[in-house]
Amino acid sequence: MIRLNHLPTLRIKPGAPRSFRYGRRRLQGVDGDTVATALFANGVRVFGRSLKYHRPRGLYSLDGESSNTLVNVDGVPNVCAETTLLAEGMRVSSQNAFPGPDFDLLGFMDALSWAMPAGFYYRVLHKPARLWPLAVPFIRKMAGVGTLSADFQAPGRRDEIYPAADVCVIGAGVAGMSAALAAAEAGLRVVLFESRPWPGGAFEYRPGTARDGVAYYRKTAELAAAVQASPHIRLFLNAPVIGVYSDGLVTAFQRGRPPHPFDERYIEVRAASVVAATGCSERPLLFDHNERPGVMQAGCAHRLARTWGILPGRTAVFSVGHDLGLEAAVDLFDLGVEIAAVAELRQDGLDRALVDALAQRRIPLLRGWSVTKAHGRHRVTRVTLAGPNGRFRKTIDCDLLVASAGFTPVTGPLTLAGARLAFDAHTGFFLPASLPPRVHAAGRLTGRQDWHAVAVSGRLAGLSAVHDSGIDRTAAIGESIDELASLPGPARGTQFVLAPGSGKKAFICFDEDATVKNVDQAMDKGFDVPELIKRFASVGTGPGQGGIPGHNLPLYVHQSGASPDGHPRPTTVRVPLTPTFLATYAGTRLDMSKRTPLHALQVADGGRMERLGVWHRARRFSEDERSREEILAVRTAVGMLDASTLGKFRIFGPDAVKVLDRVYVGDMTRVPRTRAKYSAMCNEDGCLADDGVIVCTGDNDYYFTTSTGRAGMTVEWIRYHTRFDDWDFGIVNLTDAYGVINLAGPEARTVLQRVTDADVSNEAFPYMGYREFAVDEIPVRAMRLGFVGELSFELHVPASWMVHVWNRLMAAGGDLGIRPFGLEAQNTLRLEKCHVIIGSESEQRTTLHDVGLGFLWHRDKPWAKTVGDTALRQTEHQPGRLKLVGFRMADPTAPLPGDGSVIVDRRIRGYVCTARYSFTLKEPVGLALVDDALSAEGSSLAIHEDGCGGRLARAVVTETPFYDPEGLRLRM
Amino acid sequence: MLGLRKRIWTPRPVKSSYDAVIIGGGLHGLATAYFLARDHGITNVAVIEKRFIGFGGSGRNTAIVRANQRTQENLPLYKEALDLWPVLTRELDFNLMFHNCGNLNLAHGEAALKAMRLQVSSARFLGIDSRLLDPKECKDLVPALDISQRPRYPITGGMYHPPGGIVRHDAVVWGLAKGCSRRGVHIHQGTEVTGIGFERGKVAWVDTDRGKIRTPRVLNAAGGYSAGIASRLMGLRLPISVLTIQAMVTQPLKPLLHHVISSGAYHCYANQTLKGEIVTGAHMDPWPNFTTQTTAAYIKHQAEFVTEFLPCLKGAKFMRIWGGLADMTPDMAPIIDGHVPAEGCFIDCGWGYFGFKSSTVTGRYMARYMATGECPEILEPFALKRFQEHRLMGETAALVDYSANN
Repeated sequence: MIRLNHLPTLRIKPGAPRSFRYGRRRLQGVDGDTVATALFANGVRVFGRSLKYHRPRGLYSLDGESSNTLVNVDGVPNVCAETTLLAEGMRVSSQNAFPGPDFDLLGFMDALSWAMPAGFYYRVLHKPARLWPLAVPFIRKMAGVGTLSADFQAPGRRDEIYPAADVCVIGAGVAGMSAALAAAEAGLRVVLFESRPWPGGAFEYRPGTARDGVAYYRKTAELAAAVQASPHIRLFLNAPVIGVYSDGLVTAFQRGRPPHPFDERYIEVRAASVVAATGCSERPLLFDHNERPGVMQAGCAHRLARTWGILPGRTAVFSVGHDLGLEAAVDLFDLGVEIAAVAELRQDGLDRALVDALAQRRIPLLRGWSVTKAHGRHRVTRVTLAGPNGRFRKTIDCDLLVASAGFTPVTGPLTLAGARLAFDAHTGFFLPASLPPRVHAAGRLTGRQDWHAVAVSGRLAGLSAVHDSGIDRTAAIGESIDELASLPGPARGTQFVLAPGSGKKAFICFDEDATVKNVDQAMDKGFDVPELIKRFASVGTGPGQGGIPGHNLPLYVHQSGASPDGHPRPTTVRVPLTPTFLATYAGTRLDMSKRTPLHALQVADGGRMERLGVWHRARRFSEDERSREEILAVRTAVGMLDASTLGKFRIFGPDAVKVLDRVYVGDMTRVPRTRAKYSAMCNEDGCLADDGVIVCTGDNDYYFTTSTGRAGMTVEWIRYHTRFDDWDFGIVNLTDAYGVINLAGPEARTVLQRVTDADVSNEAFPYMGYREFAVDEIPVRAMRLGFVGELSFELHVPASWMVHVWNRLMAAGGDLGIRPFGLEAQNTLRLEKCHVIIGSESEQRTTLHDVGLGFLWHRDKPWAKTVGDTALRQTEHQPGRLKLVGFRMADPTAPLPGDGSVIVDRRIRGYVCTARYSFTLKEPVGLALVDDALSAEGSSLAIHEDGCGGRLARAVVTETPFYDPEGLRLRM
Repeated sequence: MLGLRKRIWTPRPVKSSYDAVIIGGGLHGLATAYFLARDHGITNVAVIEKRFIGFGGSGRNTAIVRANQRTQENLPLYKEALDLWPVLTRELDFNLMFHNCGNLNLAHGEAALKAMRLQVSSARFLGIDSRLLDPKECKDLVPALDISQRPRYPITGGMYHPPGGIVRHDAVVWGLAKGCSRRGVHIHQGTEVTGIGFERGKVAWVDTDRGKIRTPRVLNAAGGYSAGIASRLMGLRLPISVLTIQAMVTQPLKPLLHHVISSGAYHCYANQTLKGEIVTGAHMDPWPNFTTQTTAAYIKHQAEFVTEFLPCLKGAKFMRIWGGLADMTPDMAPIIDGHVPAEGCFIDCGWGYFGFKSSTVTGRYMARYMATGECPEILEPFALKRFQEHRLMGETAALVDYSANN
């Protein structure tokens, strides 16, 4: 197709061709084309087929309001052709049509639409019952548009940015640019979002003149130049706003084009003030076959010519309800389109100049007329017009029908920001009745259509945003208000929805093939609220999310008299305002995980790293899933565990000990300087929440550890439980400041003694002792603990010295067979010793008593009001609770039951918490939570494992711990 | 044809007395009313709904049904609920669109596998089909899964529960409303209960903004708003925290996922509706909140996480997110009780985000409770007193705390 290449409003470079593929065809567009305009220029009229009835669908709008032009681009389904710029070498194909959009085998579905009234699925296909499961695969296959393969890999580069701004302006039309400039003049930082690839909105393509005699496009270009020259305005083009939240949080995404280093990026702005200047889209006119290819909105037809140099048709009929439609008719005539007739819904209130212009061009203007039907199988060939009340019919041949009932203000961002809308009878719009603080509305969405009025309303909004920021703009705001009052106010709008005598094939929602008849059917069933009709008749729930029916549905329901309170009520608008790729939302996918100071060493030593919560940890150091060698090293020689993920805290101040008494169940008033105290925290129900060790490091100064998983919430937990006490204490999270090495095994002391001058003999540093000494002048906090059941030292080392100390110990123990061990070995070792791990042997049904740690509870410290104390008293002897027991298999050669297997009789009586094969004892051992009736030593347990086929394994409750019951190994 | 013009339900004038008043026109309320009428002949029932039926959690959930809970107190209830969908479809003559696609829950570590083995062993012991899968079997079931070591939490296995699936949630609301209406139950939309009156230690009436209604039985089944109603109108403080939970859908696609897929480590699930949309969601906002507003962080987080284990979804587009309220108890199990604080007062709440799957069966037993005054055995474990006795139910293993101190 030959382009008009002389127009000053063009956004294309006719001399820069771009070739692309469409199905099997090789086509050519030009730089500046969208996929949609390039296809249209190449004569493509049917872009795809509709969801349900497989009706042919074509170019209707240009901003992605409907799903008509969703195509597959380079393997990505549901790409909006209207808003995607053409790139060299693109592979484009149509969707939902086989073999192709012009001839679709499922096209016959359209003839069956009578059999699929609103809510059709709810009423049929379940009789008889066995029909439904058979119908489901068929329904699923028919539903959905676009195919995504299971092995699809998203192409392209993603990014995310979080710019800060004082003012965020949504929409770079005349109002938005005026608002941005007003704010920029005051030196505020402005972020300006525009969904189209260029600024200018509703005026940038129009050759008409403003009241000062200058063409709209010239005035708009001047404004855009000022915006682009302003150092205070950051203009994001091709960047639709997708979300607006409270307190000025605005999200958007931007489509990149060379030289941008991204293909799409996610943008999140926190602005002090928000200005919505989103303008209007066109409100569709409903009549039979109102979505036939060849029917398009006024702006679509006009912009095709003015922006892309493409004549939208040869012979056109217009059926419109606003001056912009008349303006388009005049201009398209001048550009060479034959205009057979202009039907105008309005009887009066038309722009006189435009009426005269039509008359000069001998274009027939039919006031009070409307199109009632579009004819033609795959594209419009003829239209029927009808006069007022549906009388005086007229049929005209044409290949283009420009149809538009009025305007719809784009209020999505405003409602998301918290504005309340009310129906305005003059404009026919839902207009903001109240705006939240620091949110402003401007421009055409307030109903104004005059260039100057739109610009001044934008300036007013910008000044108000400046005022929000504390810079006094009272005088300037007053001037703008006065100026606005002297300019034309909101234009009267039509509320006309449905052409007389039509409705069976008048589609209110294109995406889901819903007709006004379907809406009638929903109302007949008793649905009266537009929100429910929307759901029952599937209106506006498709890919376009109400862009087409959003305004017509409430108007139509209101006109039918069905709405209960007599006012039109809009349906809810939801994020994202423009459908957004998950890839774009996911952005750069930063992984904020944590590594211990020994991470690289652990990996180098063959550690199999796993993510546990935020941490990477080594589960084992060999292929052996049971970690036999690591276990035996600890039991017979010496091993080292990187325990740096433990929570580590300093708490200090005059009231620190009171705090510890509050959250720990033990008595914290007597923690001697040289001893480590093991204790537990409970919640209000007495459930074990955490355990750890507390040491006293100075006057009113303590250091304590928590389990890994609790580290993140410990400060908050403590602050919460002391919130009414006004105590004087400080707490510091040292988790990342210190690393921890657990040096364990009978040779642990030998190794340690080789690296320090301090006396670490059993006499000088006994079990449960605490010492501070130096290793190569590095201060080390050492505790003699025994989680794994051997002589062991827990060494707390400043994080930056961890590698050094680890290497020193490793070298010192080389001749003793020292080796690192991982979590799996630790788990078996501590199981043999029956030491609990929180969350593994405890859960929300178990109190401190239930898991056998009741001895930690100091019942006589009423002053402390210990968290969980009441519950611990009440549950101490309560019958019928789960109890932690140790078990061995009745047959020691029996296979190991899986963790989580249930213990049963006629009911479920408990479950296996952890069971492992003990290399030390040479048989399986385990811990289980069971009903207290089964907890006595010698009780027989029947274990039901998944997949056991009803064959129960037998176990016996035995004395604990399994290993070294006297605890001699800890004290050696 | 097909009874096109027959109304699903009909507005009626508010009467001055009913045999039972149900607060909340959601699934639990409608189901209870339906079974009161169907099983107990109590048809003089009013369902009072402040907004419109299905406004709350009933219309905001993601329609997943399953019976793979953790405890033996819960499992039978959900199992019965699963069996009810086809029965109710027939009985209500309304297609509830039960799609028995099965649920696959992914494990990303040893702890998750253990938790799943507990659930699977429990389910199988009680005769419910559920099984553990290894990563390869997961991939065979759901080819879109990434079972490589690339994700931050690689898949280590899964729990497959064939009896589960999805149900069209709106259809259940409308179907039950239809069933209620046909049996004479009155559904009063746009009506607010403003007070509950007691006489001689028994419920005597409720006040509404459309007048006073005398009744001997009141059920509080107001979902996210039930704890507030219990506190304001019943003088009952329930251990419930209300949090916003969000969910979202992509644009409709041709069939891609044939199961409900969920992941605990990533806190999200995904399934494809019959319309082709992929629904995802899962965990709640981390603070108590009575709004249904959505957040920027959540939709981004979902996109990041669901594409970790289902990377092909990067090519899908989110088109809608919404929020609902989850009334969370400390043990993630509901509170179902009767004659608290006075005779004739019933509560059915604290369902958190599990209220959809269990709604119909709970309605059936609650109706029996209300009709006979005797608590059915299956509901006994859900009584409020378990919190006083520190006997939490263990529906989740973790110590959860959804109050403001979490």
